[in-house]
Amino acid sequence: MRASPLAAALGAAVAVAFVLALPFSVRAQQPASTAPRTPTAATPPAPPKAPKGEYAAPAAVPLAPDAIKRLKSGDLGQIKGALDDIRVSGRAGAAAVPAIVELLKQGLPPTMTQSAIETLGETSSEGASEVLGWYAHHRNVALRRAAIEALGKTRGPIAIKTLRASLSDPDENVRGLSATALGELKAKEAVGDLFVALDHKVEEAAASIGELCDPAECVRLAGKLGSVPFDVMTGGLDQVLLRPPKDVDDETKIKIVGRVRELGTAETNAFLKDVQTKWPPKSAPRVKQAIDQAVIATSGSPGSSAPEGSP
Amino acid sequence: MTSRTNAPNAPGRGLRATTTVALVALTAAVACGGGQTRLNLFSTDWTDDNGTSIDRVWQRIGSKPVPPAVDFVVGVAGRDDKMIGLDLASGSKWTFQHPLDARPVIAGSVVVASGGGEVFALEAATGKVIWRRPTGGLALLGAGDDGSVTVATFRRAGDTGSVLLAVTHDGQIVRQIETKKALGAPAVVAGMAFVPWAGQYVSVIDLDNGDETARVTLRQETSRAWTESGALWFGGIGFVRFDERIREASKGKASTVSVPPRELPGMPKLIPAGTEALPASANAEDKTREYAKPESGDAMASLADGRWYGTYFRLAMGFDAEHARLAWVHLHRANYIGGAAAAGGLVLCDDQGHVTELDAAHGATLSEANLGEPLLACVVNIDGERANGTPTDAKSLAAQLEEAVRADDPQLVIAQKLLLRELATVDDDSATKALVDAASDPRTSPDLLVDARTALANRRNGAVFMEAALARHYDFLKDVLRTPPVGPIAQALGAMKEKNAAPLLAAHLLDPADTEDDVKQAAAALAVLAGPGELPALREFFGMYRATGDDDDMASAVVSVGQAMATIASPADKSARAQVEAAATDPNTVAYARDRLGALLSAQPVAPDPAPARPKNKKK
Repeated sequence: MRASPLAAALGAAVAVAFVLALPFSVRAQQPASTAPRTPTAATPPAPPKAPKGEYAAPAAVPLAPDAIKRLKSGDLGQIKGALDDIRVSGRAGAAAVPAIVELLKQGLPPTMTQSAIETLGETSSEGASEVLGWYAHHRNVALRRAAIEALGKTRGPIAIKTLRASLSDPDENVRGLSATALGELKAKEAVGDLFVALDHKVEEAAASIGELCDPAECVRLAGKLGSVPFDVMTGGLDQVLLRPPKDVDDETKIKIVGRVRELGTAETNAFLKDVQTKWPPKSAPRVKQAIDQAVIATSGSPGSSAPEGSP
Repeated sequence: MTSRTNAPNAPGRGLRATTTVALVALTAAVACGGGQTRLNLFSTDWTDDNGTSIDRVWQRIGSKPVPPAVDFVVGVAGRDDKMIGLDLASGSKWTFQHPLDARPVIAGSVVVASGGGEVFALEAATGKVIWRRPTGGLALLGAGDDGSVTVATFRRAGDTGSVLLAVTHDGQIVRQIETKKALGAPAVVAGMAFVPWAGQYVSVIDLDNGDETARVTLRQETSRAWTESGALWFGGIGFVRFDERIREASKGKASTVSVPPRELPGMPKLIPAGTEALPASANAEDKTREYAKPESGDAMASLADGRWYGTYFRLAMGFDAEHARLAWVHLHRANYIGGAAAAGGLVLCDDQGHVTELDAAHGATLSEANLGEPLLACVVNIDGERANGTPTDAKSLAAQLEEAVRADDPQLVIAQKLLLRELATVDDDSATKALVDAASDPRTSPDLLVDARTALANRRNGAVFMEAALARHYDFLKDVLRTPPVGPIAQALGAMKEKNAAPLLAAHLLDPADTEDDVKQAAAALAVLAGPGELPALREFFGMYRATGDDDDMASAVVSVGQAMATIASPADKSARAQVEAAATDPNTVAYARDRLGALLSAQPVAPDPAPARPKNKKK
């Protein structure tokens, strides 16, 4: 007799919640072996490791051994339970991806469809991208949004192709989610599309461009200052200024700080101060100096909190 | 009671002197004085004389030539206080400042107008005043002129009767008649005034003696008389020629011609009522008019060039006189407010002061003139001129219709709906393209869009244009914000069995920007057109929607796609049919689709595996 998948899921959820409550640095160092294990987990497949240098996922709950069998049961209740279990297992649920994909290809009722899509996203399995690409153009906008969010996790060329196409979706939220996901996927080939999207008021595109742009593209982004609302631009410029020097050189950053400084508004002062506080110690002193000077120069702007000339 | 003033020899009054005497006062004074006769003018107890009296008039003046009237345009500008004259033959122009209380009339070689308490006549060629008479404020109804005498009618205020005035070109009053009857617009030929009244009579008044020498009863509404094309005409809803057949008019056997009945927007009139003074400024009725030029045929009257015309704001249309079929449509840059049919074409005047000559055959522009400023009203008179020249913008009817239908002008929508129906009857690929474009254009008004889609669904040609439209999809980043008319195109292509369209339709199955109805129609067409190449898209659609397609259109689409899958699944790969079979029994499949899929599969049993091919006998 198998253990209740619901109990296992609850246990895992508590464990995940506990892990998520830890500071990022602690979470990143948490060894997989310390993750709570369900007593029924026999020989679960090892969870895939996060790529080096990227966000390390919390230790996953092993895939319930009968999850795949339940997915194939044809019983909606059992399928629902299995999907819940797999979602909690995260990357460890990758083995169940083909069965979920098959369910989605055959068709499920709307709520179950959404659950299956979200579960595929949690598995971060590239093998799910094709069927998620189907649902990324489903007529039900909730399913489309879910598919786009899931594609942002499953990665791969199919995901990127689908997300680029979804920048043109009729739904504003789908467009925004697609822009964000492309940034998260480091889809540098999509920067051109993201600029077009930004010109079409897909505001999320600014932050993604900031994450992905090469120096010339970053300067192009800064060139949008004045035509794109400043609060939209800050999301992208913030990203650019805080990227490592190997991605964006100091000269480019100084140029961008200069463009921001030229605006001379209270908003720019607040933004520059925020960057100032986030600036890594001893990092890029020339850029830091440019930021400091820009903060001083804009502090006298109408509405800024500090008088002109104050540090 | 009718009173008549006989003043044939009024001493040579100067113009200044005549203006000081009010017409009504003058009438009253003379009516009580000598020289007055009382005849039974415009009496209603008249008994029809079977055409005897009018035939006498015909015998008397029928052989006399009717001098042609000037080909002329008069624009009303300013604040109803300025006339601009344009001689179409010479191109010469003049302006004349004078308050106007009614639309000017071009008669013979003069322009007659009223306003400021007087009526006056200008020489058309020069714009100079040739006579003026006080009116006491009566507004001009109409006027005729035979080269020496001008006859004009006026309506009394408050619907209390009319006044007829005959004045020689040297300003002498020949005749002045007051009546309680509502007179129409008169004509004058050889000293005889022809005066329509009571909607059915034309009385002939001998200006020499003031007698009503004849009367004719017409069997159609009549309120205007005028000369044109060398003949005298009476009209209201059509044209009745004064000729040897006029004696049989009361029996309905006069020479008549009219435009055939046809649906046109704005219920335009061919001939405005002559019993009402037309306002000095044009109104909506002037923007929606019919025009035709009657001419004398060998036996009966006919319409010049076999054409009649209609205007609707910026649109002019030419129609075949026999069957009322649309021959052409011309989209103009400004609203037409006046015009006249000519031999060989149509001369129209717009509210910006442009005068455009269109050719009768195709509606192309033959010439343009300019009065020089925006107009409040415009009167055009064409008699002798024949429209000719080289058309500058000749287009096919389909192209003209497309241009007219797609004009972004809300005031044209009613006409555009009519023209769209015309477009649908044009049996030409380009008409299909025009319908596709109209149905795809985001500027097309919602009213028109419905008609465009309906017409498109019924097309049976122009597949290449439909497929080009299907290649387009909603694309936010490319600013393509309206989907193509997938539904009607699918219906048309399905009916045309256009299998090349199958991949394009399959792509639209999966486009969330298309409407449910469009998807339903695309699926229905694919049930006929889809081949193995479409199977992946069909399976994708079927999988996504068989349990989520919760409205009837989508469920219907699922059934059509299931039908296509079951039909085209190859004997070697039965998985597509198996997918449909499974869905037909799965309770998660939406009920509407499940029931119909079951019935569909029962009616469409599995095709038997093909027998293995036998090796051919080799010839020895």
